[in-house]
Parts: sequence; structure tokens; C-alpha cells
Amino acid sequence: MSPLSSINRSSIKPSCSTALLTVLSRCVNNTAVAITLYIAGMGLLIYLAAQGANAMGYNWQWYRIPDYFYQIDEHGLIIGEIPLGLMATLKLSALCFVLAIGLGIVIALLRHAQLSSGRLIATCYLELIRNTPLLVLLYLFYYVLGPVLQLDRYSASVLCLGCYHAALLSEIFRAGINSVDSGQSEAAHAIGLNKIQTYRFIILPQAVKLVIPPLVNELIHVIKNTAILSVIAVAELTTLGRDLISDTYMSFEIWFTIAGVYLLVTLLLSLLASQLEKWYAPKK
Amino acid sequence: MHQKNNMGLPVIQKIPVMKRVSMSARQHWPNIVIVFITLSVITLLALHTKTHLVYEWRWERIPNYLFRWDETEQRWIANLLVEGLITTIRITLYASVVALLLGIILGLARTARPLLIRLFARTYLECLRNVPPIVIIFIFYFFLSEQVIAALELDQWAREIADQPDPWLWTLLFGDMRVFPALISGIIVLALFESAFIGEIIRAGIESIERGQHEAAHSLGLSRWDSLRFIILPQATKKVLPPLGNQFITLLKDSAIVSLISVQEVTYKTLELVASTRLIFEAWLTTAALFFVLCFGLSRLFRYLEGSSRQRSS
Repeated sequence: MSPLSSINRSSIKPSCSTALLTVLSRCVNNTAVAITLYIAGMGLLIYLAAQGANAMGYNWQWYRIPDYFYQIDEHGLIIGEIPLGLMATLKLSALCFVLAIGLGIVIALLRHAQLSSGRLIATCYLELIRNTPLLVLLYLFYYVLGPVLQLDRYSASVLCLGCYHAALLSEIFRAGINSVDSGQSEAAHAIGLNKIQTYRFIILPQAVKLVIPPLVNELIHVIKNTAILSVIAVAELTTLGRDLISDTYMSFEIWFTIAGVYLLVTLLLSLLASQLEKWYAPKK
Repeated sequence: MHQKNNMGLPVIQKIPVMKRVSMSARQHWPNIVIVFITLSVITLLALHTKTHLVYEWRWERIPNYLFRWDETEQRWIANLLVEGLITTIRITLYASVVALLLGIILGLARTARPLLIRLFARTYLECLRNVPPIVIIFIFYFFLSEQVIAALELDQWAREIADQPDPWLWTLLFGDMRVFPALISGIIVLALFESAFIGEIIRAGIESIERGQHEAAHSLGLSRWDSLRFIILPQATKKVLPPLGNQFITLLKDSAIVSLISVQEVTYKTLELVASTRLIFEAWLTTAALFFVLCFGLSRLFRYLEGSSRQRSS
């Protein structure tokens, strides 16, 4: 609150309560106070949730969770199931992401090139993918395309997520290519470069800078979407969580842990994305 | 070849014509290549399907699962798939209203001045945005349906209404009241999840209003609330509507996920249908088509409305 407004208000209504309110709001606006209150509030929230769970007779077994991360016995360190599940998720995401980048570039070029047939195909593909829920798409790939192409569940799910994210990535690529000033390609044409050379040496190097930060965001999106593959029991983190819960009935502990692991990975990546955005921001 | 016109200047007409011919010739072959590749892929796929796939198509049975003829009432009534679709639409509408309210609160909180409020809003947002929807849905489902709804005895209340002779209003609003608890938890989960994204849209809308507008409102002596109400929000609303429309379609699509917590919407009904009749291909293709028609139609409608409103304002 700026000093002007507080003077203004207290001069109009010089009552005790407004003065108190001003002092209070100034107090709350203090960074240290705010952070303390925040921590206290979060603590209260967690305490209330735990109390509520206790009240309904939930048996918390947090002590069993570290075992799923690592175990130490006479053979040394054994990596638990959760890190292995995370590795599976990351591997799956990487596969989907690479496929999506490849397909996405093809679609972006099909849309960008002045070809009526290319644009028609790209538009059909985009509208089909964009207007179907991912879950239904997954069932389509697994139950319909799977038997047709003899795909197992792993390749069907990679293909499904790859196709889904290719549609989203193609938008990013298109925006990247379009954002390069048209004067650049005209200049390239003027100095006698052909179309491929123009893309290779002029457009792409400039577009890449604009495309990388949203690409990292899309990677986060892919990692989040791999969780949906648990409905067809592809081995990854969420499937692992569901299996563990059916074994141990620790639904809250396992789900919170799994959510925490996802949160950690995605927050780290989004930190990276915002760093990259800063690095690649156009210098003024 | 150089003709002179009455100004005495050479007329160059042939060159652009020749250029156009060569351009079109050059542009034809990639078109042909693309069409050829697409057609050959489709043909290969069809041949592959014919030889490797043993499947008996029974498309004629699908319309019966959309609508069926009721003998006792002597009229057509919705069957599994359309029932599910109606539930999907219901969930989407209710969840979008709740999500919009939550999202507006979140958006205002994100742009509020006190750090405390911003911290809480940011925590809420990041927790919902960075965790996969499935995990969120399962967490909230365990919490909501097994604890909160049980504690409120919503189950019993809904069953009592369902046992009434003709609860037409409830049925109109919420469908079969016996599955009301599942429906409500589906709506709440979906609304919570989408509110994070709507909140970001609202925030972007508020922040897109120039600083000068805030300052002008301030200098006119409007309080923060009044400037928000009379100056900022009316301008932000216009900017926010198109992305909100998109988010509505996203919500419609995301509503498929709540089938996993046994809300009886169209994806769930399709799973049921497949389990009971083994019409695997037909049922999934039909459901995908239903979603496609709904989402595509909505996106066209929103685009049309956006275009017409822009024409009116200009």
C-alpha cells in the first residue's frame, strides 16, 4: 500500500478501526511476517488434514515410505521401487517426446509450406487430435490401432502420446518459424539461397531460440500425461503407485509421495524453462 | 520483341506469366508426392488390416446403444452412450461454473498486493498444475468420496430422493440420483483441477490491462476494489473470453478422466458397453466421434462468436 492512499483514507474517515486496519495491513505486507504466516498457515492446513484423517480412523504409516525409495541391507544399497518407477516414467516421456518432436516438425512444415494437400492433411490431423480427449485417444490406440498394427501396450502408448503431443508441438514450431521476420527469408532469397538453405542457415537458427523454452514446458506436459498410461497398466510411476496401494492399502501416503515426486521433477524442469526463457530473451 | 506503348516505355508482360507457369509446375510435384505417400500408407494399412485382423464388424448394433425403443412407454429413450454423453455435458457445465468461480478467486489472489495471499495462491496453483491430473483425481477422490461425502451422509440423502415417486427436477439436473455422490465428487475434482488453469487465464487478463489504467483509477480516488470492479475487470473480461472458451473445451475433454473414479459419463459407459458386448472397435470409434463432434462444434461456435463480437466492436 502506498503512503498516499493510507493518508487519503485516514483523512476521510479518521476512525480508530481504519487506523488499526492500516497498521495491520502494513504488518501483513512485511515480507518476513508474510512468510512466517504462510508457513504457519500451511502447517495448520497439514495439521488439520492429519487430524481429520485420524478422526476417521486412518492409520498413518509414513515410516514405511522410505523403504520404497531405498533400502540398505548386507548387500549394500538397494534402489527402491519409486526411483525405478520414476526412471521408467522419464524413459517413457523421453521416447514420446522424441517421437512428438519428429512428427511435430513434419506437421509444422506441412502447414508452413504453400501446399494445399499438405495443409489439408495437417489440419485434419490437428483437428482430430485436438478434439478428442487423451483418454479416449489412448483407448483408440490401444484397443483399435493396437490389434490392427499388432502393437503391444508399450508401443501403443508411446505412439499415442507421441501423436498427441506432436499436435501441440507443431503449434510451437509454427509460432517459432512465423516469429522470424519475413524480411529474413526475403534477404536470404535475395542473396541466392534456396528454400532448404534458407531454413537451414537463416530461419531455424533463429527459431530454435524462441522454441526451446516452450519445448521444456511441453516436456513437463508429456511427463504429466504419461500418468494417464496407468489405465492400460504400462509400467511407470502412477501404475506403480496403484500397485503399491492395492498391496499395502496406504492410499494417502503413497499418493502424496507419488504426487511429491512428480511435483519435484516438474518444478525443477519449469525452473529450467524459466531460466532458459531469461537466457534466450531478446536483448534490448 | 520490345513493343513500345504510347508512353514510349518497353512493355514487359511475358516474364511474370512465364514465372507463374514455372512456379506452379514446381509446386505441383510436392503436392503429388504428399498425396501419393498418404494414399499408399492408407492402402497399406487397409491391406494389413484385411489380412491380419480377424474382426467381425457389427456397426448395425451401435445405433441401438445410442437410442432404444422403450416398449412400456412407447417412445425412443437414450441408451448407454447418449446417457453417458448427457452426464458428460452435465459434469462439464457444473464443473465449469465452479471452476470459473474458483478461478476468478485464484486470479484475483494471484494479482493481489499482500504477499501472504499471493503465496497461498501460488502454492495452490503449482500443486494443481504440476501434478498429473490422474494423481490429483485419485487423491481427491479418496479424500472426497470416502471421507467427506461419507461424513456428510450425502449418500443416504441422495438415495432418499431417488426413492421418491417422481423426482423429475433432480433427475433433470443430476440424472440418476443413486449415483449422485460419484457425480458430485467428479464435478468437484474436475473443478478444482481446472480452476488452476482458469486462474492463470484471469491473471493474464488482469495483468494485460495497462498500468496507466490502474494509476488513473487510483488518481480518481477509486479504492482498489472499485478500480478492479469498474475499470480493470470490464476490460479484462473482453480479453479473457476467448481463452476461457478454449478452457471450456479442455474441461469437456478432461472430463473423460473422471470415468476412472466411476463417474458414469460417456467413457465409463463405453467401457461398460465394450465389456458386455465386445463391440470394441465400434464402441470406441463411436465415442471418439461423439467427443469430436462436440468439441469441434464448440470450437467452431466459439470462433464464430468471437468473430462476430469483434465485428460489432469495430
